[in-house]
Amino acid sequence: MDRTRAILRKAAWSVFTIFFVIILNFFLFRVLPGDPARAGIRDPRLNKDAIEALRVRFGLDKPVINCFETLNPIKVGSCAVNPMETQFFIYIKNLLQGELGYSYHTNRPVVDVLGERLWNTILLIGAGQILAIVFGVAFGIFAAWRARTSIDYMAVGASLVAWSLPTFWLAILLLFWGSTIGLPVAGKATPGMSSYPLLQQWGDIAKHMLLPTLTYTIVYMGEYTLIMRSSLLDVLSEDYILTAKAKGLNTVQILRDHALKNAMLPLVTVIAINLGFTVAGVIQIESVFSWPGLGSAIYEAVVRRDFPMLQGAFLLIAVTVILANLLADLTYTYLDPRVRVE
Amino acid sequence: MKQKALYLFVLIALLVSACSGGGAGEPAIVRVGWAGSPDTLNPGMAILTEAYTIFELVYDSMYDLNLDGSFTLSLAESANVSDDGTVWTFKIRDGLKWHDGQPLTAEDIAWTYNLYKDTPEYPYLNGYYTTYFDTIETTDNNEVVLTLTEAIPNIESQLVFLYVLPKHAWEGVDKLEYENTEMVGSGPFKMAEYVQNEFVRLSANKEYFQTPPKVDEVIFQTFENQDALVQAIKTGQVDMVTEMPNTAAESLKAEENIELVVGAPLAPGVTDIIFNQVDPENCPEEGGLCTGHPALRDRNVRLAMAHATDKQKLIDVILLGLGNPGLTLIPDGLGVWYNDSLTDFEFDTAKANQILDDAGYVDADGDGIRDLPDGSRPLNFRLNWPSDSLTAPRMSELLAEMWGAIGISLEPQAVDPDALTAQCCPAFDFDIMIWGWASDPDPSALLYVYTSEAVPTGSSETGYSNPKYDELYAQQQVELNFEARKEIVWEMQKIVHDDVVYIIPFYDANVQAFRTDRFTGWITDQAKVELSDVTSLVVIEPVK
Amino acid sequence: MQITTSPTPAVPSRPASGLLSFWRSFSRSRTGLIGFWMLVIAIFVAVFAPLLAPYERGASTSVQIDDIYQPPSSAHWFGTDDAGQDVLTNFIYGARVSLTVGFFAAFISIVIGGVFGLVAGFFGGRWENFLMRFTDIMLVIPDLPLTVVIVALTKPSLWNIIFVIGILGWTTTARVVRSQTLAVKSRKFVLRARAIGASKFHILVQHILPLVLPILVVQAVLAISLAILNESTLSFIGLGDPSAPSWGQMLNFAFGRGAMSVGAWWALVVPGFGIVWVVLSLTLLGQGLEQVLNPRLDTHHLMAGRPVVQKEAGAKPIQSDVLLEVQNLSIHYVGEGKAPARAVENISFTLREGELIGLVGESGCGKTTLMLALLKLLPSAGQIANGKVFYNGNDLTVMDEEEINKIRWSNISIVFQGAMNALNPVRTVGEQIGEAILKHEPSFPKDKLNARVSELLELVGIASDHREHFPHQYSGGMRQRAMIAMALACNPKVIIADEPTTALDVMIQAQILELLDTLRKKLGLAVIFVTHDLGVVAELCDKVLVMYGGVTAEYAEVDVIYNEPKHPYTQELLKAFPDLTKPKKKLSSIPGYPPRLDNLPAGCRFAPRCPAAFERCHTDEPALHAPQKDHIVGCHLAEASK
Repeated sequence: MDRTRAILRKAAWSVFTIFFVIILNFFLFRVLPGDPARAGIRDPRLNKDAIEALRVRFGLDKPVINCFETLNPIKVGSCAVNPMETQFFIYIKNLLQGELGYSYHTNRPVVDVLGERLWNTILLIGAGQILAIVFGVAFGIFAAWRARTSIDYMAVGASLVAWSLPTFWLAILLLFWGSTIGLPVAGKATPGMSSYPLLQQWGDIAKHMLLPTLTYTIVYMGEYTLIMRSSLLDVLSEDYILTAKAKGLNTVQILRDHALKNAMLPLVTVIAINLGFTVAGVIQIESVFSWPGLGSAIYEAVVRRDFPMLQGAFLLIAVTVILANLLADLTYTYLDPRVRVE
Repeated sequence: MKQKALYLFVLIALLVSACSGGGAGEPAIVRVGWAGSPDTLNPGMAILTEAYTIFELVYDSMYDLNLDGSFTLSLAESANVSDDGTVWTFKIRDGLKWHDGQPLTAEDIAWTYNLYKDTPEYPYLNGYYTTYFDTIETTDNNEVVLTLTEAIPNIESQLVFLYVLPKHAWEGVDKLEYENTEMVGSGPFKMAEYVQNEFVRLSANKEYFQTPPKVDEVIFQTFENQDALVQAIKTGQVDMVTEMPNTAAESLKAEENIELVVGAPLAPGVTDIIFNQVDPENCPEEGGLCTGHPALRDRNVRLAMAHATDKQKLIDVILLGLGNPGLTLIPDGLGVWYNDSLTDFEFDTAKANQILDDAGYVDADGDGIRDLPDGSRPLNFRLNWPSDSLTAPRMSELLAEMWGAIGISLEPQAVDPDALTAQCCPAFDFDIMIWGWASDPDPSALLYVYTSEAVPTGSSETGYSNPKYDELYAQQQVELNFEARKEIVWEMQKIVHDDVVYIIPFYDANVQAFRTDRFTGWITDQAKVELSDVTSLVVIEPVK
Repeated sequence: MQITTSPTPAVPSRPASGLLSFWRSFSRSRTGLIGFWMLVIAIFVAVFAPLLAPYERGASTSVQIDDIYQPPSSAHWFGTDDAGQDVLTNFIYGARVSLTVGFFAAFISIVIGGVFGLVAGFFGGRWENFLMRFTDIMLVIPDLPLTVVIVALTKPSLWNIIFVIGILGWTTTARVVRSQTLAVKSRKFVLRARAIGASKFHILVQHILPLVLPILVVQAVLAISLAILNESTLSFIGLGDPSAPSWGQMLNFAFGRGAMSVGAWWALVVPGFGIVWVVLSLTLLGQGLEQVLNPRLDTHHLMAGRPVVQKEAGAKPIQSDVLLEVQNLSIHYVGEGKAPARAVENISFTLREGELIGLVGESGCGKTTLMLALLKLLPSAGQIANGKVFYNGNDLTVMDEEEINKIRWSNISIVFQGAMNALNPVRTVGEQIGEAILKHEPSFPKDKLNARVSELLELVGIASDHREHFPHQYSGGMRQRAMIAMALACNPKVIIADEPTTALDVMIQAQILELLDTLRKKLGLAVIFVTHDLGVVAELCDKVLVMYGGVTAEYAEVDVIYNEPKHPYTQELLKAFPDLTKPKKKLSSIPGYPPRLDNLPAGCRFAPRCPAAFERCHTDEPALHAPQKDHIVGCHLAEASK
């Protein structure tokens, strides 16, 4: 009973946070100057009327909120405007209908673009995280088990170096190296593969995925190794490990049945929190490898100042992170019987 | 345990075969790499060059723009104009077909032109190219009758980008939101597959009414960055690249199976150094701030700075030599319109110093920087550029040194492109900017930015206002005789050159490359270089 | 943007007492030292940039086309970049920019995070609620789009970037500082200060801040490294300041201006190397600092132990009816760079079926070490330096892990002192007991397992429905009893009980003792009972081994110990023990402190406190004498009385 109440409370807090982000999202991107017709090009053939027509199309001619025409520069307007005719209301209404507006750059609904790209990123992150967790945990266990031996020093050293590498730099170096051994340098698949049998398509995608996934894995594996190691070191010096040893259990049994579950708990939290910080890493990896995912979409949106795209991506990521954190919270509660409801 | 191993083995075997196999084609497929991607396939809404490249291949228009700058009739077999020059009658060829087999008639063309004319949200096609359209009608003889509001000399360039769309495919759609991924066109290539931001696959239209392509497919593949492009062509993942970092040119030239082509771009752009010289009395009422440094209104100062600019050095360091020194806003890529008889201000720092000395700009307070003749302000100029440019910061460093040698100091600052637009025009809240323009095949568009009427509209960045120039501009707009018009355009260039309205450092060359061991027949002997133009793509064939 | 990996540290036991001692403990951490010197080198390069750089900074018109992307040469050690400039020069000056960004941005983050954390932790209530909720929200908002907005609103200048990184980087610091403040707030000296009526501000600054400062320093170090990484990422995306050539900006130019296509690896590798160097140095430094503040034991229970040494050749003959025989067991603790601590020296005793031996001595006299050694459970620093342990005729000291695992628990089990954490908190008690059974009897029928576990629990007075509960749901006494139940699970022949009833109330204690007694009578269970409760010893034990300072003081049957103690320590012990039955007597205690095992006095270990000590006691270690049969005394006096 207590537990359900705690879960509900956490869920309610998450919903509140999402609301906050939605509102923040709106104002953040209205405070910016920005024109739908700008693509960073100055063209003498683009005249004011066309630009104005586009502004109307994107609803930018409506007042931002009641009493304010625009927020940058701040232009005060009529406070008696029908609230349904403000950008804010339209934004909320669209949101409730699952619409995130139209991209300035591609003229397509933002939801469509994000939807297409999202799966590519999930594929990349999924594979990368799984490998990073598997290897990170494995190396961390080894390093902790053989603490203060050369295995430990090597593992810790390598992890620290991996953590210190700027992601985009590692990506560039791997791209360079990869091109010399014949790996594809861009994209998710060779164009035209769609007419080939499915298995060949997957093989082609796997080849393209190799380097970006490797980059991602190296970057996060180091962190997980360090966390797993320190967590396991803490656990292995606890009294109940000595009890287990006294009971006659061998090392593998002790690690498996007593140590791992306890040691994994901090890692669970970190993995969830990481999801939010992964965004920046994914942006770098995808733009270097031309991987058509959410990250490169954001990168392009940044370059082209495509604000509806940025707004939509921002919202999507924030919501994902909030939900991931909630999930981690709940998982932690489930895994650790000691967690008291607060 | 054994079963698992077996599955694993099979999986690995399949993957290996998938990796090594793939794409061994009987059909001749040309792979083109570029670092961009069409923004949309809706010709009305599209802005980016890549989109237009695709449109050129999949659609037809009334005229074709050739690589030497001339126009030839395409869909029409003849064009006649009334004596007053306002009514054009185009006889459309008979027997034309759309990619889906439907006939292409004057109906489609008239319908398309009306669509473009009536949709104000279409940034270019409505905003610029249909400006003079009055009515468009058809006759029973498969003719299109286009009535203009006034006679204009450049009907070809006005029609060349009005891609003809099939009425039967477009009739019921939302003309703004329609993504047009099926792209039913009439051109030498058909849309086969399109994944946004990844690739565009076109297949050959062997029944094209002009020269059908010899190859079977063309694939344009998007790479996020230019380095990947270079790697791709080196390793043979693509057969041709439409761009590359200039630094790679040498190393690609050295490659055995790769050939490099350098030349003026088909759609040339112009990099410019902009001086804010708007007259305070002429400051636009709406939105004008006009905070420019008064010294820049003095031609002497601008002239001195022009003499102090070593354009060849800029070309060497920034373009690695792949470009031509600039003159006026009309790039040399516009062919006959470019006034090549003008002599530029030679790079002569001593002369520049002399000019400033004579004009009274001396260093009054001994800090190494010249001041206004009345000593009230030093010649310290703000220098801004859009923050997404990687060449502008380098240019600003070099300019700082070059102009520093004549006693001018700069305050360089990268600015967000949108913020820069807000600063530029019609606010005129800057001193000097490094920016650039895209251009139209017809010079009229670029010439407009020098006019007085462009000052309050935001098209003029310099605030330059010269009644004589305005007069000539109005003249060339309606001069129907080509030679006469050319004279006027050349005269206009001379005027703005003499007045040192801009400093045009260079005209960027197009640097492209193709693999010699894959396809042959690329058109490389024209003044303009655009291997992805339809002219090349229809004639290339696999190397035997 | 990457996350910090620092866990929440514990409160240091006392505030850092001076720079020198700090440096001493810091320099013990190898990683910390390496990081420190790496950072010093980087700072040195940054500070003396104009002296070190071979060329002037800034693009120059003296550059020719051929100078662009030149490979390393004698003129340009690291080659040239896309504008023909010397990469080494830019690299050196880049250190300035990157380090400046790092330090200032981190400063902003630390100040904000520190203030938020302190306020939230100290004032609690609504403040804490609001601030921590705000922190949580900020944590989930993706940084990059936020950065784009702010940079787009303002100029892309270096100070704006510093500002942006700074105001987005405080969240982790706030959390950590808050936890720390909470922990410190409840410490006694703070409560005392509040009781005196000190102002909140005064307490915050004088008492709490000094203890939070070390954590802040560690956070600051990490924040700097994160800031430098963030700045390089921002520059790469094109949001940097092109007129401030940081390493990230150098990479941006190189990547955007085709370095890779030309093969100009130097333009890419060198700036990246700089970033890695500085970030790594800060990370190592942070790790080193954390070692000082939160010294983690770098040993754990699964580390390989030390080899057993047996100096005396040849075994002494063993007695056949003895279950457990310990011969001359000596145990040392080996530390780096110090002489080994002789924790246990030359202990011998025997245990027969059904016998109960009491092991008596002060805390720190080596009782627990001795017990652990019997089952080879010593920590990795422990080493059996001499002696043998025979169980049923087999020498346990020479067995490997696999062999001794068979003996552990099923033959000899152990109940640890202080069962607070001796049970795994994430598994049910029943599971853990069942695990022991299944380990040694894998064929035990599963359906009977639960019944057996319940039976064991009830034996020690725990209702069987507690079987499915977790250790944290048991009271302290219950946990202790559960440990005993678990120790009995496999019907061992010997139980080592290390002060098993100390935490229990007298009634339960009596129950447990009765239980042990019953088992001894019924099953012949032998028990080694470690205690300092002489009453229990008198009641239950057959034999007594009195230890002092790691050596045998006296070893004899219980009657002999109580009625004819020969060792002065034993005598003092008996005197110190209050007797409820006798008339009121002044409590006596033994003055002085037990000896430090790494700094033993010459001669007899008890001599400094012994009322009967004479000259020889301070110079010669006493041998073990036997004044009568089955009575061992480790004292010079016993020699005389033979």
